[in-house]
Amino acid sequence: MRELVTIQVGDYANFVGSHFWNFQDELLGLASDPNADSVFKNHDINMDVLYRSGETHQGKPSYTPRLVSINLKGSLGSMSSHGTLYKEEAPAPSDILTWTGGVSTQAHTPRNKNLFLQRLYEEENLSTVNEKNGSNNGSHNEYQDKDIIESLENDVQFWTDYSKVHYHSRSLYELSGVWTDVDEFDNYGNGTNSFSWSSQGEEISDSLRFFVEECDHIQGFQFLVDDSGGFSAVAAEFLENIVDEYKNTPILLYTVRGPGPSASPQSRKRTILGDLHDAVSFSRLSSYCKLIVPVGLPSLSKSKASKFLHVEDEKHYHSSAVYAAALHSISLPFRMLPVGPTTAACSVSGAVDVHGVIQMLSGQGRQNIVSVLDVAMPAYALNGGPNQLSLLENLQPLTPQVAEDVEDMQAVEYMTVHGALAPGGHHASVSEVKDKVDAAFLRANTRPMFRHLSVARSPLPIPLPFPSIFGNHVGQHGEFIGSEMTSSSSKGSIDVYSIPMAARLRSSSAVLPLLESKLQNLHRFGIQRGAAGAEILRSWGFGKEELEEMEEMLSKMVSTLCPPHFSSDSD
Amino acid sequence: MSVRVLNPNAEVLNKSAALHMNINAAKGLQDVLKTNLGPKGTIKMLVGGAGDIKLTKDGNTLLKEMQIQNPTAIMIARTAVAQDDISGDGTTSTVLFIGELMKQSERRIDEGMHPRVLVDGFEIAKRATLQFLEKFKTPVVMGDDPDREILKMVARTTLRTKLYEALADQLTDIVVNGILCIRKPEEPIDLFMVEIMHMRHKFDVDTRLVEGLVLDHGSRHPDMKRHAENCYILTCNVSLEYEKSEVNAGFFYSNAEQREAMVAAERRQVDERVKKIIELKHKVCSDNDSNFVVINQKGIDPPSLDMLAREGIIALRRAKRRNMERLVLACGGEAVNSVDDLTSESLGWAGLVYEHVLGEEKYTFVENVKNPHSCTILIKGPNDHTIAQIKDAVRDGLRAVKNTIEDESVVLGAGAFEVAARQYLVNEVKKTVKGRAQLGVEAFADALLVVPKTLAENSGLDTQDVIIALEAEHDRGNIVGLNQNTGEPLDPQLEGIFDNYSVKRQIINSGPVIASQLLLVDEVIRAGRNMRKPT
Ligand SMILES: Nc1ncnc2c1ncn2[C@@H]1O[C@H](COP(=O)(O)OP(=O)(O)OP(=O)(O)O)[C@@H](O)[C@H]1O
Ligand SMILES: [Mg+2]
Repeated sequence: MRELVTIQVGDYANFVGSHFWNFQDELLGLASDPNADSVFKNHDINMDVLYRSGETHQGKPSYTPRLVSINLKGSLGSMSSHGTLYKEEAPAPSDILTWTGGVSTQAHTPRNKNLFLQRLYEEENLSTVNEKNGSNNGSHNEYQDKDIIESLENDVQFWTDYSKVHYHSRSLYELSGVWTDVDEFDNYGNGTNSFSWSSQGEEISDSLRFFVEECDHIQGFQFLVDDSGGFSAVAAEFLENIVDEYKNTPILLYTVRGPGPSASPQSRKRTILGDLHDAVSFSRLSSYCKLIVPVGLPSLSKSKASKFLHVEDEKHYHSSAVYAAALHSISLPFRMLPVGPTTAACSVSGAVDVHGVIQMLSGQGRQNIVSVLDVAMPAYALNGGPNQLSLLENLQPLTPQVAEDVEDMQAVEYMTVHGALAPGGHHASVSEVKDKVDAAFLRANTRPMFRHLSVARSPLPIPLPFPSIFGNHVGQHGEFIGSEMTSSSSKGSIDVYSIPMAARLRSSSAVLPLLESKLQNLHRFGIQRGAAGAEILRSWGFGKEELEEMEEMLSKMVSTLCPPHFSSDSD
Repeated sequence: MSVRVLNPNAEVLNKSAALHMNINAAKGLQDVLKTNLGPKGTIKMLVGGAGDIKLTKDGNTLLKEMQIQNPTAIMIARTAVAQDDISGDGTTSTVLFIGELMKQSERRIDEGMHPRVLVDGFEIAKRATLQFLEKFKTPVVMGDDPDREILKMVARTTLRTKLYEALADQLTDIVVNGILCIRKPEEPIDLFMVEIMHMRHKFDVDTRLVEGLVLDHGSRHPDMKRHAENCYILTCNVSLEYEKSEVNAGFFYSNAEQREAMVAAERRQVDERVKKIIELKHKVCSDNDSNFVVINQKGIDPPSLDMLAREGIIALRRAKRRNMERLVLACGGEAVNSVDDLTSESLGWAGLVYEHVLGEEKYTFVENVKNPHSCTILIKGPNDHTIAQIKDAVRDGLRAVKNTIEDESVVLGAGAFEVAARQYLVNEVKKTVKGRAQLGVEAFADALLVVPKTLAENSGLDTQDVIIALEAEHDRGNIVGLNQNTGEPLDPQLEGIFDNYSVKRQIINSGPVIASQLLLVDEVIRAGRNMRKPT
């Protein structure tokens, strides 16, 4: 087996991760639920790739994500940093075994569990009492579900507020001594100045090693970083360490961030600070990996990607669900059971490992390490969506600053389609999907130089704590019902059970605007003579040489993508 | 900004408001930490919003657990944490000293003194105190065979401020022996060569020194021995798993056969490496009495594990990098990066290697080694917060011993230094200073007393009485510290209460620097304003 270890650094990365693991947890539940749709059984997806089997301190078996998550102290809400399974009993002050002198107790006001978490724990206690009384499905009181969903819509504050997953006690690491709020931890300098790898790094890498050591044959790291602030610096240190320690293990790096503040006028100084942060953070992070995927639109709600969604940009709980869904789709092929090309009745095809994807997208021809993430959520049915558009045509970028309609003869695409619906409304077979997509490719105006398609029959399951972000015309199984965008009310997990998805990583010159803006900003605000932000960069600890190195790296990234005839112009 | 221009008094007001804000922040932080100080301090149990528990008696840990928002307090906290990073101790004293310098200044500023004058006095007093420290410190000769007794006294002093006496005393020997084990004459002591490992244990607390190494993982093959004696140890950093090698792994294979051929070729390479290890095993273990253990920093995949297990070899994968170094220091041999020229010289040796399983956690003990230069302190405790607190204490103890060896001197504790330094400043230094800076020297001198005063307070003693008694005894020509049980003066030398020289030095150095910055807050602003004027 080829295990995958996931790393989540920073607040928003954990928001995304929380949804991602909720999907996995839902898949696990559905696979063992006799009442669930058969498409979720025998789905030929090996969950052990992402999960480990273990045992709690009480000797109970556990099945938990292979995950290291880094948060600021205080951002785990009502969840213990030991996770839910490995939690320790709270001792009385009299239990202190190391000190016979005075004791003073300072207790934070307990964080209350919200309705959802309360239900989760009640249910779990019930199910351990009468373990074999069939599924707990159907026993749900719909009224209760509505309350829960409403409370989540209004009150999610921490990523743990909507998490239904049991985490291992080594998974959740809280940074201490940072002494700022999440809101103020907003630039690279904050990260370098308030976090020192030398004091906390050892514990973090020990946790990671715990998960890696037990892998028989690790295929790679799936690394999510919230790159909107100080966590970029934390992640850069972590990455440096990983590259050093696990030299040949590939890293698939996603930088994720929530939608920006809604167009509040910013001072020039803040704009420069933000631009410099983005440039520095991008070039630092990309220097440690062979594939980086920037994710996070300035306004997801207004983007084409949420054509069929009702996302509220202010809610991280909303936007992170969309990104998590895309990441889930991209990761499916990493855990598909390998099946020979001849087996007709299988429910997956196109298995590939992280190394394969990285090689495919960035390891050949021009070595472009930046990929664009596109998504169709929900994906159109095979006979076309509204207006008879094909499945390919509703893929929209989740990567910011991407050029539209570029013709790139050297583009490479890696695409996953899963849970696609056939004309009859049932889940299409793998070969049906393959044929349709191939046909669509042949018809398309622009074709990539190379493409890879992975297909799975199982759709994206929508767990109860998933936000209500579906438009009115999305049906129970993600089919389109009626083509008009009617009222603004939205649907959630009560009305939508699952949706078909398509997601794609694309190595294309469409990413040039993103690269060019980083390069320009770094030069203009940080490097050129009298640059307005030179002092800022110094205070972040960057010397002239380092900055020039970054600039060179960025300009190399740009030039790999620029068609040669443009650059020869100037001679 | 515009208001200030209109009302000239506003600036003054703001100035003193900023100053008092700084003073209050410093005092606030001092209040939080002061009950920590010394062997009679209180331990703090911190319960988080989700019920997580932290137990600490250490200023450093406490600060890190706190959510500090006030910028002044953050500045002080950073200084104190840096104190710990640099010298490993004295965080609480640093915070108290800064707080007290601010408090003493406040009184004098309220009486109309200018902060600048105080700061000048601080500078003079600081230099004088550092000179005094040089005279006051007790030199210790280290040489080839360090004075174990003095090391033990320093370690005990520190440990007893963190753990109850019996536990502290048990750890005293452990940390001293640990440091002496890794120490090499003429070389700086690398504390990383003492591994600190922990293990859960149902009921009690127990700590021991393992001369050798404890790793927090075990072999990954069911047929490998769990217990072996007379072991050759191969420490290596060699990939024993099949990885697609970068160069050849183009994604496109023209056909399935080609792909398979690639895979087979790579597998063969891995197998070759494993075989070389097996060959060496046969060479050295011909007598059947000895065993062979491979500890690898890289991965070992199941086929390789199978091959090794079949030959009776124990193999551990993904050892942490630092353990490569430690293993070699503990067992001898060398860490090899390739199996190409393996010889028996590369091998280390351990009398005993065994595995200990605790639920899903596994530990491998590499023990009974000859002449080790690396060791492990193994802490057992019933829960994470107990273990964490002992770990912090062990780290403090190790640092204290290391500092003593490297400083080649110690300082009498229990407030003795602070009392003596204060009297020196007041009686000798002050009169040599011209003008009002004298008052700065005096403020500094009084601030030093925060240590004995707080020690007294934490023992439930009357601080005034204690200080009067100590000063009287001092003026009789004796060196005195505080007996926390009686409130009487004691001779720290006799009681074996010693602090680190470098820790004291660092406190005296950094305290006034931060205090001065905080006092001169207004001048900083004004300087900024001046610079904006075109000249
Ligand atoms: N037996 C004792 N009697 C009186 N004072 C003592 C005794 N042992 C230690 N001390 C004093 O206690 C002080 C050290 O206390 P403590 O270790 O709690 O604080 P710290 O070193 O300033 O900060 P940290 O929290 O980083 O350890 C020193 O001034 C030392 O001389
Ligand atoms: Mg101390």
